[in-house]
Amino acid sequence: MSSERESILSNVWNLPREVSEVAGKDPGTWLQFNTHMVTFYQQTYGELSRFFLALKSCRLIGSHCKKCQQVMVPAATWHCPNCNFAEMEEIELPHRGVLAARAPITIFPSASFIDEAPFCRGYVDVATDAPIASFLPSRLMTTTGLPRPGIFVKGTELKLVFEDQRMGRIRDIFWVPVKELPSHLVDKKPLFASDLNFSSPPMPAIARDPALEGALRKAIEAMRSMAEQIPRSPRAQKDLAGRTHTISVRTAGGELTLIVAGSGLRIEDEPAKSPDFAMATRDPAVFTRWVGDGSLTDAAVEGTLWLPHRAAFAVLPILDRLPRSIRRDVRDRK
Amino acid sequence: MNKVAIVGAGITECRGRWVEATYWELFQQATRRTLEDAKMTADEVDSVVYGIYNDIFEHQAIPESTLTGLIGMANKPGVRITTGGATGLYAMRAAIQEVAAGMADCVLCIGGEKATDCFDPQSRTATPMVIDTIAKSWDPFFEYPLGATASDSYMQLCMGYDDEYPGDIGDSLVRAKIIEMLCRQGNKNPFGQRRDEKVTAEQVLASRWIIAPFLRLLEACMYTEGAAGVLFASEKKAREISERTGVPPIWVKGVGAANESYSPGRGGNYKPLSRIVSDHLAAERAYAMAGVRPSDIQLVELHDAFVAQLMITMGEMGFVPLGRTRNLVDEGVMADIRELRDDQPPPRGKVLINPSGGLIFGGHFVGGSNMFSMWSARREMVRRQIPLALIHGTGAINAVYGGAIVIELGDDPGKSPTGDGGAQ
Ligand SMILES: [Zn+2]
Repeated sequence: MSSERESILSNVWNLPREVSEVAGKDPGTWLQFNTHMVTFYQQTYGELSRFFLALKSCRLIGSHCKKCQQVMVPAATWHCPNCNFAEMEEIELPHRGVLAARAPITIFPSASFIDEAPFCRGYVDVATDAPIASFLPSRLMTTTGLPRPGIFVKGTELKLVFEDQRMGRIRDIFWVPVKELPSHLVDKKPLFASDLNFSSPPMPAIARDPALEGALRKAIEAMRSMAEQIPRSPRAQKDLAGRTHTISVRTAGGELTLIVAGSGLRIEDEPAKSPDFAMATRDPAVFTRWVGDGSLTDAAVEGTLWLPHRAAFAVLPILDRLPRSIRRDVRDRK
Repeated sequence: MNKVAIVGAGITECRGRWVEATYWELFQQATRRTLEDAKMTADEVDSVVYGIYNDIFEHQAIPESTLTGLIGMANKPGVRITTGGATGLYAMRAAIQEVAAGMADCVLCIGGEKATDCFDPQSRTATPMVIDTIAKSWDPFFEYPLGATASDSYMQLCMGYDDEYPGDIGDSLVRAKIIEMLCRQGNKNPFGQRRDEKVTAEQVLASRWIIAPFLRLLEACMYTEGAAGVLFASEKKAREISERTGVPPIWVKGVGAANESYSPGRGGNYKPLSRIVSDHLAAERAYAMAGVRPSDIQLVELHDAFVAQLMITMGEMGFVPLGRTRNLVDEGVMADIRELRDDQPPPRGKVLINPSGGLIFGGHFVGGSNMFSMWSARREMVRRQIPLALIHGTGAINAVYGGAIVIELGDDPGKSPTGDGGAQ
């Protein structure tokens, strides 16, 4: 949420100059050469400049047609395509909107956005009083942890948030659910990213349910028996090599801790004192399913496993590999 | 408008990556097979229409220019069409127009893509860069900077649809059953990319999420490299070629297309998020031109980018009601390939959907995917004696581009030249 003065392309976007051999489906020797198709631009904002200048000064504007009363947001043109290109006028829009449809959460982004996943993107109806209106393509953020299903549903009331440092680009703004705001911020205008806390979201309340204690014991047992096989699985050790994580887990059946260290995994049946981060789920069986070749990532994507941030999400694919790696090594030993 | 027929078609094998061939070779292979199929030489072709979606994939700004001489089209008119996922459909529309207008007797429509040479240095894999290349289809001011991708764009529509029509596409089991059926069909496509795979509904349900709750890994189309060609000819030329090949001409009966606004919105001409209006308008226009109804059509080759979208598209095109597209499975509207011999049409009331395996199992070389569908539709019509078929293409951000073509099986060569079907 900062706007550091960064280069457009980092050095990881590069390849050595070389021609290499590549295996195909047909026999023979085939070649490929490393190359690129990068173009830099100083891209004109032209008639869109007004919209982005407004964002810089914390205003959201649209273009309004007096004939058909439509509002275009963003102001993509100043001449109404519905009314024989009649001149449109600038209209200042509220910092409140409504999500037009449930919004998808991107887990597998394009190369340019690989560090941002998972993220949520949706269309916000801002000019709700206008009879005809376009929707604003928008970043959607939550202060309650990673985005997950159920937060950004059709009709969710949203509040516009401005980045503290604005450059004049669509990423100068994003939206948060109004119901996540403390009452003194609901009408604050403009609301800044620094007014909100995204870095330490509160863990959702999970009431203890004695009926799930057995499920927790079963999950811990399953994970421990998986962990015991790691020393005999080179693949699993490779998955964990060089990693150290202490992850607290809260479930309705009780708490536990996953400790990744020394290319191995340890399960404690109590919460860690200073974990790297904490996860939460009502149903401990999420972890039993993981060991049975399920997926913690899928549980997070479905929203049954709560995670505080991206760094936590990035650990899940590593953990997800373990059951499969062990199974393959067992098979190889046979 | 003059009558137009399809007189030949040919495709390359569909592969995830063709390191053995550049797009030059892929287009030449498809051209060669298409001409062979029609027992023609390149000299007999008057003009060419190219379908190539994305310059960045081919890594050349006018990629068709290098193909001209290599595919035997030197000194003939040639035009390239690029309309996102619907590129192939629109390329065929352009080729049909040339013949229908009397400007050409025979037009080659050839499309393909070299999609997976893209490479992401960070992950050391192709996929994120392939996704990025497709993401360049979004505008640079508002949508691309938010991290738009093709999957989440199509899923946005599925979510909008599900908001409006709950309890339809959201049933994972229904979608998984469709996948299972598409897989079986793909097994019968000798050129299909996943022809050796066996995917069960259980495997679909156990596969990882791409976007919950409408898209798992096994519900998505592939990235494919390959090419496909279709030859369109005037009536006179078509009968002549049909005599040569012994294959009946396939008549183009109706062509429809529609592009919705880029911007979603409420009212006016904005794109509604709960519908794929482009599919609906394209199909309606094709039906009107052909004088047919969806209930007359028992073979559809549609652009299935994702299974949930396949369901919505079948609803938009009038084969099942919107909100009840699950009837494809629940009421058995989708024909079961296991119950059909290879020379047998589906029973009345059932529709054979994507016997090629579609874009999920068959192949999806974007610029030529709809030609691939046309190739399959023609093949199935001829061998199963199905009188009418529908070919569909969709593309661009939020599926705003749609196209549809209705074709009709002509009489076997040697029969009276007046009887070209009359199935309507
Ligand atoms: Zn107007």
